[in-house]
Amino acid sequence: MTISTHISSSIRLGARLLTGVVLYCMTMGAQAQTPVFEIEIREHLFYPSEFKIPAGQKVKLIIYNRDATPEEFESYELNREKVIVGNTQGIVFIGPLKPGEYPFFGEFNPKTAQGKVIVE
Amino acid sequence: MTSAVIIVLREVLEAVLIICMLLASSSALGLRFRWLPPALLAGLVGALAYALSLEQISMAFEGFGQEIVNAVLLLMITVLLLAHNILAMREFKAPEVSRLPMLSLAILSATIAMAIVREGSEIYLYVYSYGVVAGDMASVLSGAAIGTGIGFSLGTFIYYSLRTLSARHCLLFSSIMALIVGAGMSSQAALFLAQSDLLPSSEPLWDTSAWIAESSLTGELLQAVIGYESSPIATQLGMFVGALLLSLAAIGIGYFSVRASSEGPGAAGTTGGRGE
Repeated sequence: MTISTHISSSIRLGARLLTGVVLYCMTMGAQAQTPVFEIEIREHLFYPSEFKIPAGQKVKLIIYNRDATPEEFESYELNREKVIVGNTQGIVFIGPLKPGEYPFFGEFNPKTAQGKVIVE
Repeated sequence: MTSAVIIVLREVLEAVLIICMLLASSSALGLRFRWLPPALLAGLVGALAYALSLEQISMAFEGFGQEIVNAVLLLMITVLLLAHNILAMREFKAPEVSRLPMLSLAILSATIAMAIVREGSEIYLYVYSYGVVAGDMASVLSGAAIGTGIGFSLGTFIYYSLRTLSARHCLLFSSIMALIVGAGMSSQAALFLAQSDLLPSSEPLWDTSAWIAESSLTGELLQAVIGYESSPIATQLGMFVGALLLSLAAIGIGYFSVRASSEGPGAAGTTGGRGE
């Protein structure tokens, strides 16, 4: 109950918090605190066509278009649209979102280029 | 082919709405349509330039050049529609008294050109890469023609509906439309800025997709007119309300900047000059 025990317990708490933050940052990758996900467009299809992201958190999505033709990454549910010129890549930030399924599609090939983000 | 129809119609819808609304205003403002071909041409050239340099633009600003250009275009159109409202309300209150023909021409032309740049570039990109390069010319072009046709018939309908009104009512109605369309566009601009992490994003405020899906025809029409979004974020709502209030203020400024009759141009009317 002395001041020194208070100080040592708060130091211990601080250290624990710090370790937590460091671990969190490490798991989130070296680039930034924002988790990064990558998908590819090949032959007008998305690979992977489904991927999971954490709920309530903004994530960075990098879309590589391996086709020669442009594609528009589009989603009504994610509220996103971005043209990705052939053989380039584009970055789109998505979220934070509530848990659920959020379909996306390639506007220029809506029948084949389909996928969904699963938020959990 | 059906996907070509839908793709092109979606892009055409927004531009057609603005063009036809402003054409109706233009004749109510006593302007001839001579300004239209140069404005359309400027828009098409701009669209082509945007589409051809899309790769460089996309790479600019740390990969968010596209979002920034789109947001700037949308916000500039919003400001120009605001300026349109000032002019329209001046004419509404005192017809033929304090017209600003050159300024009106500049504002109408710039708005239409910018609306075409944004939508036209995507149509060009689609038609060029899937029609010309991928060699699916017939179905892409016929689809594009049908999409454009539907868009323009809708536009003609809007134009003639507005023209059946008296000049003053046409101006009033166009201003209200411009107010709503502009607010919708600034909400779209907010989305582009959130997508590139330049404005904060949050979980959507609500979700009305069960009632009106954005992908439905009603949803698409509402999106073009009021910027309908089934799951908007707070930033969007803020921009929407902000633009709505500014546009209402513009209507007020236009209305009170002229005297109802006799006297010449009002002093406060110069606010309309800051179109860009």
